[in-house]
Amino acid sequence: MQAESTERIAYAAPRTRGLMRGRAFLVRLLNDIRVFPALLLIPVLIFFILWNVIPTLWMIGLSFYKYSLMSPNERFLGLRNYNDILNDVQVWASLGRTFVWVFAGVSIQTALGFLLGLLFWGSRDMPGRRIALTMLFAPMIITPIAAGAFFQLIYEPTFGVVNWVVRQFGGNVNLLGDTNLAFGAVLFVDIWMWTPFMILITLAALGSVPKAELEAAEVDRLPWLQRFRHIILPNAKFILMLGILLRTIDSFKTLDLIYLMTRGGPGNTTDLIALLLRRQAFEALEFGWASALALILLLTAIAFTSIYLYILNLSSKRQEA
Amino acid sequence: MADIRLEGVRKVFGGKVFAVRDLTLTFPSGSVTCLLGPSGCGKTTLMRMIAGLEEPTSGEIYFDNERVTHLSPSQRHIGMVFQYPVVYRGISVEENIALPLTHDKRLSPAERRARIESVLETLDLAPYAKRDVSTLDNGTRQKVAVAREVARQPRIILFDEPITNVDVSSKMQLKRALKRLVKQHSQTIIYVTHDQTEAMTLADEIALMRDGMIVQRGVPSEIYDHPSDRFGGWFLGNPGMNFIDYRLDNGALVGGLFAQPLRLNQTTEAHILVGIRPERLRVQTTPAPNWVPARVRRSAIVAGGQHLLTLEIDAITVKAKVPESLRVEEGETVYVACDPDDLTLFDADGHRLQARILA
Repeated sequence: MQAESTERIAYAAPRTRGLMRGRAFLVRLLNDIRVFPALLLIPVLIFFILWNVIPTLWMIGLSFYKYSLMSPNERFLGLRNYNDILNDVQVWASLGRTFVWVFAGVSIQTALGFLLGLLFWGSRDMPGRRIALTMLFAPMIITPIAAGAFFQLIYEPTFGVVNWVVRQFGGNVNLLGDTNLAFGAVLFVDIWMWTPFMILITLAALGSVPKAELEAAEVDRLPWLQRFRHIILPNAKFILMLGILLRTIDSFKTLDLIYLMTRGGPGNTTDLIALLLRRQAFEALEFGWASALALILLLTAIAFTSIYLYILNLSSKRQEA
Repeated sequence: MADIRLEGVRKVFGGKVFAVRDLTLTFPSGSVTCLLGPSGCGKTTLMRMIAGLEEPTSGEIYFDNERVTHLSPSQRHIGMVFQYPVVYRGISVEENIALPLTHDKRLSPAERRARIESVLETLDLAPYAKRDVSTLDNGTRQKVAVAREVARQPRIILFDEPITNVDVSSKMQLKRALKRLVKQHSQTIIYVTHDQTEAMTLADEIALMRDGMIVQRGVPSEIYDHPSDRFGGWFLGNPGMNFIDYRLDNGALVGGLFAQPLRLNQTTEAHILVGIRPERLRVQTTPAPNWVPARVRRSAIVAGGQHLLTLEIDAITVKAKVPESLRVEEGETVYVACDPDDLTLFDADGHRLQARILA
């Protein structure tokens, strides 16, 4: 048996020697701890370069040109696009509105999500808790377009349920058509959609609080406020901050919901920066100008992120010190 | 101060895991009781039921005749130190100790101050008083947790393996501090541990637990010297008791450890387990009448500078702890004897026998 198999290998060897050598080389390469991690990164890197790096560089390049699909000749403008944007009243107005949107939306979602999360956390033995949780997360799973469509119908002045209720009290309201109310009405939908996300984050954060610490506080008869300050918050803040960060970045880019519900109107009361960008790029076809604005927004988002990460780092350093 | 009375307390997890089986016992007021037992014997569950962190499946718990079975931990007015050191974050050591006290309306500021000073002193925490707790190592944090509970002066303090998660260097320190503490304060203390030396040094009384039941209760020396059960002999001591199987020969133990047959006053058992602690076995290098020859199979140094010998006597293997001065090599022959008073006799099921050796 032994002899036979050796013989077979000896016979096969001349034909496969080159292949074997190639294989041995590959195996050696894969086992090399300096090479292997790099190999693992290659697929991700290829995608990252293809889908992120090249388009971003392209966008940066475009931002220095007058590049319009309406006129065939692109022209190098240097920083003119940036100059235009920074002097554009409409941009500043949209940006201001966006900041209000982000700040109001994220803070209400966080506060509400945290409170509801606390309630859910405390209801571990409540029957039907799982079903309640699943239902609570429904808004998050629905696409913004569908949610927007629902609320358009709900807000509809002639047959929408909101105005029906208002009419019972003798009033009449067109939420999406009123310049004073539209922003709040759309913001409400955003809050409705994303509060469950903050509940989820809160539950994850509260789950990271060690049980013994909560039990110790219970034994020590600490009031709730102090349990919160000295136990819950120090343990939960990292995950909470992550949630707030994700919501901030996402909220900053809000487009679909508003595009469907108001297209930035009435007037331009719900015109956020992402809508303006979309309009300039895909309606006015001013790609150079839009690229410059996109770059400014990218830098703004990075600034947000850095601030959050800085705060997180700061507190984690204090923790370790 | 309060006594703790359990009546038929049982805890079953998931309908089939019996963590604690129908315990009825009293922990006397002002005493330190150690619940000692291997992992999973139900000692922590028992303590958590006393704390109110776990509700008994059946049975009642009383503190000084007050039924507390269904009260929450905060309503029971107890103190508890957890395995993992719990400190309240973002404040100093002093503030940590003060935090639960600030809600005690009956306490005057001067009294509060005095209590804090006193525990800081007892636990050697004075130099750290102003330090932020997050800057402390686990050992010191655990001290802070202990100090906080002691300062509250609850009627009962429960310790759940407080030393387990502390690094070796702070372990000794913490042990000393705890010892000083239990001497000074006369609170009712229940201390859960799987470490026998901890139990031996701290306890007024040890309750040895196994499989959700208390196997034996008593003062440490009694439990150590006269285990009521083979389990106690095996679990206590490092290493535990030697057990040697004997078949009674005309009501006497013959051969093995004994040069002369040892006659028992009771002869109902056919099988007898003879237990002897390794440190009670006498060993010497020169032969003498009534000493049995034994071959040294292994010799190892153990804590305290003693040697642990593994000896072979015919077919029997026993361990003996001898002073370092007795120099023996592996393979050498030594001579062994034992005092009949140091023997503990068990029946085949491992329960201690009342039978005595006749002189």
